[in-house]
Amino acid sequence: MSALRLDRVSKTFGGLRAVGDVSFVIPERSIFGVIGPNGAGKTTVFNLITGVYRPDPGGSILLGTIDLTRLSPAEVAAAGVARTFQNIRLFARLTVLENVLVACETTRATGLMSALTRTRAFFDDEAAMVERAMKLLEVFGLESMADLPSTSLSYGNQRRLEIARAMMLRPRVILLDEPAAGMNYGEAEGLKAQIRWLREEFGVTVVLVEHNMQVVMGVCERIHVLDHGETIAEGTPEEIQKDPNVLAAYLGEEGEEAGS
Amino acid sequence: MSVRSKGVASYAVVLVVGLAAEFGFREVVGDSSLRQLVMTAAINVLIALSLNIINGMAGQFSIGHAGFVGVGAYTAAVVMANLHQAWPGDVSFPRSLVMVPASVGGGALLAACFGVLVGLPSLRLRGDYLAIVTLGFAEIFRLLIATASVGDGGVLGKLGGQNGYAGPSDQGIPQYSGPFWVFGAVGLALILCHRLKFSGWGRALRALREDEIAAAAVGVDPTRYKVTSFVLAAAGAGVAGGLLATMHDGAPITQPDQFNFQASFDAITMVILGGSGSVSGATLGALFVTFSTKFFEYLQSTPSMQEFRSANSWLDLNALRMVIYAATLIAVMILRPEGVLGEREIWEKKRT
Repeated sequence: MSALRLDRVSKTFGGLRAVGDVSFVIPERSIFGVIGPNGAGKTTVFNLITGVYRPDPGGSILLGTIDLTRLSPAEVAAAGVARTFQNIRLFARLTVLENVLVACETTRATGLMSALTRTRAFFDDEAAMVERAMKLLEVFGLESMADLPSTSLSYGNQRRLEIARAMMLRPRVILLDEPAAGMNYGEAEGLKAQIRWLREEFGVTVVLVEHNMQVVMGVCERIHVLDHGETIAEGTPEEIQKDPNVLAAYLGEEGEEAGS
Repeated sequence: MSVRSKGVASYAVVLVVGLAAEFGFREVVGDSSLRQLVMTAAINVLIALSLNIINGMAGQFSIGHAGFVGVGAYTAAVVMANLHQAWPGDVSFPRSLVMVPASVGGGALLAACFGVLVGLPSLRLRGDYLAIVTLGFAEIFRLLIATASVGDGGVLGKLGGQNGYAGPSDQGIPQYSGPFWVFGAVGLALILCHRLKFSGWGRALRALREDEIAAAAVGVDPTRYKVTSFVLAAAGAGVAGGLLATMHDGAPITQPDQFNFQASFDAITMVILGGSGSVSGATLGALFVTFSTKFFEYLQSTPSMQEFRSANSWLDLNALRMVIYAATLIAVMILRPEGVLGEREIWEKKRT
């Protein structure tokens, strides 16, 4: 069973084809990498999956059996796709705990009316959500910072908090956009272990956009390579490392210049 | 005391204080103009609390709040005056139990409908652009009312016109909204705003204000939350307007100029001065603006000031009042850009 399936997905911005006919199938509970040189359209693919952009007609995006193609970002999140951002996007003036709690709004049992009338259900629900959020914070080693403003955390902890917030949605698929950005060798090794552990612990499918080859080659089971918005290869890390198209895209500027 | 019984207790306190005010306010405060001032201050608290939902919690920028207040005021005035004519009797407290919910409730309902209308563009527009839409709404409402001439003698009476509306046969709007209703509404609004802020819903709204894209990515639907916040704020403003038009010791006539840009701007000042997003901050801001405005007016009417004024005819005290006012605002904005309290409540400890 596939967790996420993209079928001939394209996106054109005013005549410029940012993503062209991209198709891939991500198996359930796998770790899947999307790589490519700068401007290859990796983040655009994430934005297409999460509903930030709407794909051009003809393409389709399926989460299991749910069609995500025409859903809004909030609906995609509710359907079970969580994400992190390349440039960390936390809720600055909210505390660490509040940041995580925001992510349970779609799944919680009680709404605005019970918040205003403060029924017993409201308190029970809130207590249960805080408990779940605190457990997640504990898992990511952030429980002692729960009441601090999120901006006071270190860079690494902010990245971890963003993942904790995404996991609060209880997603089937989590999209990580350059989680290793700005990390040194040791931190990147730690991230690899965390990504694997995320899958074991929560049974979630992980999709990774990443430049750091140490992380991508070390943790991904399959890798999809984009260049200028088009698929140029897909396979296991070993296959990708040997693929002539991939080598040309990453190293072959000379060849390209000669061709043009 | 459990949290739940605390909630019930807070309603009981509002009810008791409201009833005590209804029958004791007149005894304690003998001067009718002072009574009017205190009631106006309470209504301004309602206006600030409701605007705080949009400008403070949701982080939108509305500069047309007086429009919603006006819709509420005119609706309540029309309903109240006609109801009173159809069902003649004393302006008494027992009768107000029917008259006020019908008229003020009607005002809130219609204002809420306009809230949907103005809230919808807020999905596509941000910042200054949304501000212009809200301002446009308020000004269109005011100018329509000021220039329209509808149904002489009908149910609507002489609704339009610069001179204002004073009931179907110009007999004045009956003033049913006593201290019970005005202070009761403020108490209720304080409780509801506090609950709104400290709930998952308020949290989601604040998250939306901080980062809309990230909020949507964790399932907070911007459309739903923004429009709902506009509707709640508009309904609150409608209640405030309805009470303003029908309150004891108030003006028996509702005029379009009560809802001009200055009124919207005052509401923004209240929220920003006190601290955007803070329920207690908006309350304090409203009290400060109301009483300081009145204080300057009072100063001008004192004999010594009158004398000083006639001796120095070049001095325009009215303009001076605005200068002092603006200077205070600028000083607060420089010293505390987030308002006096920021997003904090007055009883909360400062975050380090």
